[in-house]
Amino acid sequence: MIDLPLLLNWAFQTAVAFVSTIAFAIIFHTPRREYLFCGITGGLGWLGYLICMHLGTGVVAASFFATVALAWASRSFSFLRKTPVTVFLITGIFPLVPGAGIYYTGYHFFMSDNTQGLLKGLETFKIAVAIALGIGIVLSLPPFFFTLRRSSKSGSGQTKS
Amino acid sequence: MGEGNSILELSFQMGEVLLRNGAEISRVQETMERVARAYHVEHFDVYVLTNAVFAVGVEQGKERSVELRHVPSTTTHLGRICAVNQLSREIAQGEHTVEEAFQILQKVREIPYSSLPLATFACGVGSACFSYLFGGDGFDALTAFFCGLVLELFLYWVGKHNMSKFLTNLSASALVTLCGALLLMAGLGHNMDMIIIGSIIRLVPGVALTTSIRDFFHGDYLSGAIRMLDAVLVGGCIAMGVGVVVKVLSLLMGGALL
Repeated sequence: MIDLPLLLNWAFQTAVAFVSTIAFAIIFHTPRREYLFCGITGGLGWLGYLICMHLGTGVVAASFFATVALAWASRSFSFLRKTPVTVFLITGIFPLVPGAGIYYTGYHFFMSDNTQGLLKGLETFKIAVAIALGIGIVLSLPPFFFTLRRSSKSGSGQTKS
Repeated sequence: MGEGNSILELSFQMGEVLLRNGAEISRVQETMERVARAYHVEHFDVYVLTNAVFAVGVEQGKERSVELRHVPSTTTHLGRICAVNQLSREIAQGEHTVEEAFQILQKVREIPYSSLPLATFACGVGSACFSYLFGGDGFDALTAFFCGLVLELFLYWVGKHNMSKFLTNLSASALVTLCGALLLMAGLGHNMDMIIIGSIIRLVPGVALTTSIRDFFHGDYLSGAIRMLDAVLVGGCIAMGVGVVVKVLSLLMGGALL
């Protein structure tokens, strides 16, 4: 089910998502030192999406789980780098934002294929809600979920000294 | 202490810079309160909306100041948000006097935008990557790359001429679709939908959506609703722009492109 060509394909797609996220980091004027972390965040999100799609969860659930992964990474990086979460979240979210849904909705409506248009419009809306839930849940979690490793490290350091 | 460099003014200006560059409401509010607390302002209240800041404060026991400012929405600049965040962190640790903080804030405001060639290239690369991610092949990605270049240049040109947001998104998505269709007919690229999806990703309201969600989950419903409406309208505009061009082309060509 999961063989080497598939993994290579995933790796390549993740790399492409990495590059595209950095491209968006440039467009939104992110400080240069955060590019790498933005890229990793975006890549992680897309990898999560790919894995979910492979497991057959469907687009909406895949968007949700990918957003959770991405928001988790954003928050961890934001603690690590002492940078607002927004920086990683905004740049990393772009691969998941339903651009395709918007396109197909517009396309079908204007080609007078109302059923398809409505279906696509509804799907776009559902993806947006899934993304909203993903971000909302992860960002509402208490901070120790993201600083566990660091705080335990500093804690052990304190007990030694 | 003069009017120009009071603590309240500092806090207010920091909030304004944050809001102007696309920070979420709770961050603006927290930053302003943190600054006021760090300099021991006796009483400070602030209310922030997507496009306005209201603040009331009592400084040095007697000076009471009320401020209200309209902040029009502008482009997102994450670098400035980072810089203000850093500044507020340092202020909270008591590293700066008010005057120093003002000087740093001035520098923050002058952090430049990415240069046009770099931004254009980035937009092209981003479009190409997304075209590939959504299932296009190499030629589609190449086409999307050119569309992305055109799009960013167009957005830059529009930005200098103060076009309304609706018209900008409508015309930009129409232009991109036209550009993609022309390149497709010229023989570059294979899948119309993959090309367009890749190219419009620059316009898709990802920032508005994300920020609106964050506002909602912080309980800032009004600001969240404003931004959500923004996201929905921009998304609608893009769909319209794309749809109109596809329709017109299909009428001219006598068949559906896809």
